[in-house]
Parts: sequence; structure tokens; C-alpha cells
Amino acid sequence: MTEKLATRDDASSAKSFNEAMGVGTGDLAGVKHAVEDGIRLALHGVDHTARPTWKLNETVEFYRDVLGLPLVHAITARGWGPPGHHDFLHFFFDAGKGATIAFFYYIGSERPEKYAPEAHHFYFATHTAWAVDCEEELVTWKETLETRGIQVSPYTRHEILESIYFTDPNGYPVEITRRLRDTESIDEVDARLTMQAAMDVESEARAAGRLIEDIDTVWRRKAKLVNAYKEDAQ
Amino acid sequence: MIEVHVIDVPEFRAMVDTMREKPAVTISGPVKGYWTISATDELTFDRKAMKMKPAVWYGIFTGGLNGEVAHWGRDEVRVVGTSRSF
Repeated sequence: MTEKLATRDDASSAKSFNEAMGVGTGDLAGVKHAVEDGIRLALHGVDHTARPTWKLNETVEFYRDVLGLPLVHAITARGWGPPGHHDFLHFFFDAGKGATIAFFYYIGSERPEKYAPEAHHFYFATHTAWAVDCEEELVTWKETLETRGIQVSPYTRHEILESIYFTDPNGYPVEITRRLRDTESIDEVDARLTMQAAMDVESEARAAGRLIEDIDTVWRRKAKLVNAYKEDAQ
Repeated sequence: MIEVHVIDVPEFRAMVDTMREKPAVTISGPVKGYWTISATDELTFDRKAMKMKPAVWYGIFTGGLNGEVAHWGRDEVRVVGTSRSF
């Protein structure tokens, strides 16, 4: 570690939005991989998720009063340094194990149309799944919320998760999920082979100026990679 | 030759178990965590027989499929051989 706390840059003093938020170009050319410097970075779970809201009262009512999650912290600020930044509130509801569900409420702003919720899987892809410990807890969440008057999805069993979904007053999807089993080493192997197959197919499609046609194309490439992986074992 | 690789975990194991009785089907493995189901002409998977939930059903060939999906339904999937490249 080379920086001392007192001399570190403070993002709220940054002169531009991009500088304050570390906005990069997305270009990975020349970017080093972890194996090159040998430094192992690690994360230890969620601190908070954050989304904007233009419905302050409803958001607090929903998370604090309907879901019953304690409101544990609130920040207020008059702008934030970078030009054009709204005055705002940033507030946090307890989501367990030290994690919080946070919102920004930007004073004097109205929701831009592009932030309106959409009934589309692209929109619903941005969500956070909050964990419960067991089947009983998941059932309690679903039945209790329905009794309180919230529309809740049926249960969905994914491969290793069972989930329910509902939306908050902002239209944001919320997922409550439980682990059906721990992941094993074969899950990691399989994930590596699946993603290698898909990445290879994406590269080839890009080089040919087209999109990946279907998942079958990925499944066929995966079969080839699994064959090679299995033969390696013999 | 059709080949379906099945990752050896609980949510997919019924794919292997329901194929055991079928005469024209060969099952090998698991090798390094994968079962392989093979057949010459076609393979049909029955969702209800496997007691497979829809969310997993739609990813039934995630272990790898050397073959072509000839029929893709909510309760039945049929695959046939393919000459398409891997």
C-alpha cells in the first residue's frame, strides 16, 4: 500500500464527473491481468446496492414500513463537487449481514423517461437477489408479502437457486433467493467451459460481422470443449 | 452420432437416469464430472418424466450438445444428429 489516508484523492473534490466516478473507456487493450502482477484482490460480500428514486415517500414506506427493513443510515448533501450535481439524499435499509439497500433521491429532479421501468427482460436483468437461509424463510417472505398486499411471483427453481420476485414502487425488481446446494468444483469447471465456448463463438461471430445465432451454437461448441476436457483425463 | 454431455449434479442427473432403460442409447461416465449420453439417430427427453422444473428445462443442454434440436417443446425435446460444425 503506497497511499496514506490523509493524502489520498477525495472523489467529491474531482473536477469532472468522469474523474469523480472513475469512468473509463471500456477498452481492455493494454490492461494487465491479475496473473501478471500476482496480487490477489478479494471481495467479502455486499456493502450496499444503490439505485435512484424519484418517489421518496413511497420508497421509504415500501422498504421500511411494508418490508420492515430498518432504515439505518441517511446522507444529505448540497451538490457533490462535480459541476451540475444535484443536491441529494442517500439512504440505506438494512439487508442483513452488514449489507444495505440504498437509494439516491436527487432534489429538484424529475425522472428522465429513459429511467422509466419497462416490462422487458433487458430491464429486469438489472436487479439484486437478497438471500434467505432456508425454504421456510422463502415461503414466509412470499406468504407474508402477499398477505400484506404485494404482488409476488410464483417460486422459480433455477439450477442452484430458488427465488421469488416482486417490484418496488419505483418499478425495480427485487429477488429473494435461497441456495439449493453449495457449488462444487465441477460447477467451476463447467462454468469455465461454458463461458469459453460462448466467448469463442462471440469472437468468431464478431469477426464475421454477425451476432451469435442461437444457444445451440454455444451448446455445440461446449460439447467439443467437454470432449477435449474428458480426453485430457484419460 | 448424437452426444449430450450432462454435468454430474443433482438438477441434471434425471437426464441420465431416464435414459438408462432406452435400448438405442449409450451412457458413459461420469468422467471428470460429466456423463455422456450417446445415440445414433435421435434422443428424446421428457420433462415430466425427469420431474425437471421449467427454468432448468430451458437449459437442459448446458453441458454440451453435439446434435441438432429437431423439436423444442415445453415438455419434450428431440435431438437428431447434425453435420453442422462444432
